[in-house]
Amino acid sequence: MTAGAAEIRPAGDDHLVETHQTGMPTVMVGMLLFIASEVMFFGGLFATYFNARASVAPEPWEPPPGGELDMALAGVLTAILISSSFTMQFGVWAIRRGDTGKLKMWTGITLVLGLLFLAGQLYDYSQLGFGIADGIFGTVFYTLTGFHGAHVFGGAVGLTIILARAMQGQFSGRNHVAVEAVSIYWHFVDVVWIAVFSTIYLLR
Amino acid sequence: MRFLGRAAGALVLLGLLGGCMLPPQPATEGGKDVFNLYLLVLGLALIVFVGVEGFILYAVVRYRRKPGDDVLPEQLHGNTTVEIIWTAIPTVIVFILFTFSMITLGEVDAHQDPGATIEVEGFQWQWTFNYEEGVTIRGEPGKPPVMAVPVGEPVRLILKSLDVNHSWYVPQFLIKRDLIDFGDARGPNELEFTVTEEGTYSGQCAEFCGTGHADMTFVVQAMSRADYDAYIAALVAGETPVPSGGSAECGTTISIVAANTQFDIDSFEVPAGTPFCIEFENQDAIQHNVAILDNGTPLFEGEFLNEPGTITYQVPALEAGDYQFLCQAHPTTMVGDVTVTQ
Amino acid sequence: MATTTLEPRSGTIRRSWVIEWLTTVDHKKIGVLYIVNSFLFFFAAGILALVIRSELAVPGMQFLDHDTYNQAFTMHGTIMLFLFIIPALSGFANYIVPLQLGAPDMAFPRINALSFWLLPLGGILIFSGYLFGGAAAEGWTGYSPLTADRFSPGVGTDLWIIGLALVGTASILGAVNSITTIFKMRAPGMTLFRMPIFVWTVLVTAVLILLATPVLTAGLIALFIDRNYGGSFFDPSVGGNPILWQHIFWFFGHPEVYIVILPAMGVVSEVLPVFSRKPLFGYKAFVFATIAIGLLSFSVWAHHMFTTGAVFLPFFSFMTALIAIPTGIKMFNWLGTLYRGKLMLTTAMLFALGFIAMFLIGGISGVMLASPPIDFHVQDTYFVVAHLHYVFFGGSVFGVFAATYYWFPKMSGRKLNEPLGKVHFWIHFIGFNLAFFPMHQLGLSGMPRRIADYSPDAGWTVLNLASTVGAFMIAVSIIPFLINVVASLINGEPAGDDPWEGNTLEWATTSPPPPYNFDRLPPIHSERPLFFLTHGHGHAVARDEDLDETHEAQA
Repeated sequence: MTAGAAEIRPAGDDHLVETHQTGMPTVMVGMLLFIASEVMFFGGLFATYFNARASVAPEPWEPPPGGELDMALAGVLTAILISSSFTMQFGVWAIRRGDTGKLKMWTGITLVLGLLFLAGQLYDYSQLGFGIADGIFGTVFYTLTGFHGAHVFGGAVGLTIILARAMQGQFSGRNHVAVEAVSIYWHFVDVVWIAVFSTIYLLR
Repeated sequence: MRFLGRAAGALVLLGLLGGCMLPPQPATEGGKDVFNLYLLVLGLALIVFVGVEGFILYAVVRYRRKPGDDVLPEQLHGNTTVEIIWTAIPTVIVFILFTFSMITLGEVDAHQDPGATIEVEGFQWQWTFNYEEGVTIRGEPGKPPVMAVPVGEPVRLILKSLDVNHSWYVPQFLIKRDLIDFGDARGPNELEFTVTEEGTYSGQCAEFCGTGHADMTFVVQAMSRADYDAYIAALVAGETPVPSGGSAECGTTISIVAANTQFDIDSFEVPAGTPFCIEFENQDAIQHNVAILDNGTPLFEGEFLNEPGTITYQVPALEAGDYQFLCQAHPTTMVGDVTVTQ
Repeated sequence: MATTTLEPRSGTIRRSWVIEWLTTVDHKKIGVLYIVNSFLFFFAAGILALVIRSELAVPGMQFLDHDTYNQAFTMHGTIMLFLFIIPALSGFANYIVPLQLGAPDMAFPRINALSFWLLPLGGILIFSGYLFGGAAAEGWTGYSPLTADRFSPGVGTDLWIIGLALVGTASILGAVNSITTIFKMRAPGMTLFRMPIFVWTVLVTAVLILLATPVLTAGLIALFIDRNYGGSFFDPSVGGNPILWQHIFWFFGHPEVYIVILPAMGVVSEVLPVFSRKPLFGYKAFVFATIAIGLLSFSVWAHHMFTTGAVFLPFFSFMTALIAIPTGIKMFNWLGTLYRGKLMLTTAMLFALGFIAMFLIGGISGVMLASPPIDFHVQDTYFVVAHLHYVFFGGSVFGVFAATYYWFPKMSGRKLNEPLGKVHFWIHFIGFNLAFFPMHQLGLSGMPRRIADYSPDAGWTVLNLASTVGAFMIAVSIIPFLINVVASLINGEPAGDDPWEGNTLEWATTSPPPPYNFDRLPPIHSERPLFFLTHGHGHAVARDEDLDETHEAQA
């Protein structure tokens, strides 16, 4: 062993340790990974749904007596949420151009649409005529839609935060990674809703 | 070297602690197939074990750095050929093991026309065995239920749970199967086996089921087809049969003492159609026995005791009627009446 | 080797020691918190083990009733897995990975702190069942319908569910952190295939945590809904499916056991080369084997369910047997590392060698269990208990101790006492085998698991007694370990930057490192940057992609 060789000699110029901000921003990587875990979480819930539906056969898969799914309302909620993804993306494009004003507007609209979705969901719950304790259909219905709703709420919290930060002028064209991160979370929540809607209302 | 000695000692100890690393001698046809598969796997395992552990011990002795040695050893990064070989060989072994497993699985899970079908109900924390003939055996705390089965014929069990998951396990059959309430999704599990030797086999629940899990035991009594039919018939008739086939259980037990060339009782009564036991104690230093005769025709002749001691006679079922019991060495002075009631 | 002063160079804000540790976001302090917390839970669950073994030493109920016994083994398993082994290895990962990458910290330091503090919270919740009428008592696997509220009323099970959900969340956040750090914060020159093996195992483990743990969370939530809101997921009496619980649980549960073992394999793969004074044999194969194990681990879950009569046996048996292949490759790579090395039998090395020896036995019993006919006999018996302890304890826990003896000098600046370490190792090793090897025979002869008592006629008494003696030996072996740690922290020999002549970057800074980790980094051209620095650039520099060649050592 060469004596004294433990003296650290960097090759070439001074290598100061720095985080690489090449490629995808760190916060975005984190958000994507988090979303991957959420996909698995909803995967678990969907597994319970499909298992329940399969095990009920040959009986029809339907709400308990007295209950009924409101297809129309669900359709409206879907439209609201899909629109909110568009508005969210408009906001992202705005801040990429450096337009903080439009960012605030689109974020605000997205937030309102998200809250409208939640309100609609709660209204739907009140009209359904069955609860979580009413057999396997009720259980998986409320669990799947309920946890989706909880994630919408989480997204709404995120939207509120970036709206507040935008109002404090914290974002610029080159520095708005939080907006990007919240936006992909919001899109994820929308995609999950499309899956939930298709499974519960369309597939039946 | 001391290290090797210590290591060898440890291995010997390991061997002792492992017992023989074998399952019980199997008492079913499927069990024999499983036992043989296990021997194959154990053999391969021992080769791998000796090889790898042996190399570790070898390396620790052979490659130990000598104090003061600062020269680096050859900096081997890998060797493609060797790495391919040691990937290929385990792959082959895996395929062999899988193939033999599937063959054995086919033998174990085979379905044939059963000689007896028994519905097993498991619940916290007891078993019920329901026979096609309408008989139900239920265990009680401290008295595990006995499942009679015929030897040499497939027996099919239908395994129903009345509450949580349980598992029906007889170690000497080398098999278990869970009792699960699947709800409406599908029917209950079934298990089939063919016992090859008469005997008594203990079993217990092998799926944790709550507070009394450790107490949920049962017994399987395998007997000849003739004995099995008699056993079931006795059950149907409402009696509690004593299982034959080597069990030490007695139903009704009569105590008789021989002292001073006299029996201590001059009559006894037993139910008809049910085997029973006589606990005979000889207190004399001369030979006595107990025999049961029907007007001079021996129905049962017990073994002689030639000195003081006790013996338990297992008397086969008798038909209703009045008979005599006596000591065949002293038939005039040691005699009494036997009443066999309906 | 250079010995540097132990004081951090930069001026730091002075805070009270307690506040500093409670509010720290420094990955090194958080790593230490993880490790210390884990060992506390290790002792708690270890005491439960001694309670269990004392009860089982001879037939008859000695001092517990059945219900208390059932709580004991439930808590033992839950705590050991979720609050000791995984957090302990996470703690080492937290401390060491940024250093090995040449990074100043983890990607998300505050989330790192959150991940830690959720652990004692979750653990306390799980244990608090004892204060509220009884802890959970359905086994760490919590099968339905036994966990339904009608069979297990009482809040202990609910606290277990909530505590586990918190612990799971902590894990998931930690995984996000680890993966991001590994992908985004490597020092210049460190390509993926120049990362230390420990980092690779942490990466694959984190991916497993990320994808498997949320499924458990979903299952736990479903169980909570069943128990408290009249849900119908798992209870057949209201239309539920008990097998669904098993599928959900084991879909998580099997990757879980690889989460437990892979970082420990990573530790062994760090320790072995250093104390053999040659590189890890087959680095790339090892990486691919690790990835293969990670992928395969998602395809085998139903081998825990062979006796349910409700799974497709050939597929799961085949995939389970397949995992033996990459595992075998790793074994052989380790042996190849020892081959013609110059072995230094430090305590860390002894634990690493012990890992290989013990994990082999656990792996062999695992291959036996992969065969459905054999599994029909030994499932739910002490054979499985033997298997799981050989891989969890003989494997992962030995890995934790190897990591402790290896990295303690880096973390504290002091060396542990080697002779005392060897006393710990040998008593531990002998006690471990005495405790668990007899369980193979107990299971083969039919002793079921999770039974509070057994019949004196069963013939199981002698082996149970031997096992209990072994368990107490393990407990005794902890004494020299604790004395060693405490005494060395107070008065141990200063370690210096690089007491072991290590290969990887954590040895290229002070012991302990300054808060920002590195003043300067050596150039990184291989997976052993410090080795090449130490042994001079006259030594052939490995070309990045091609590490198959044998290098001539130039002393």
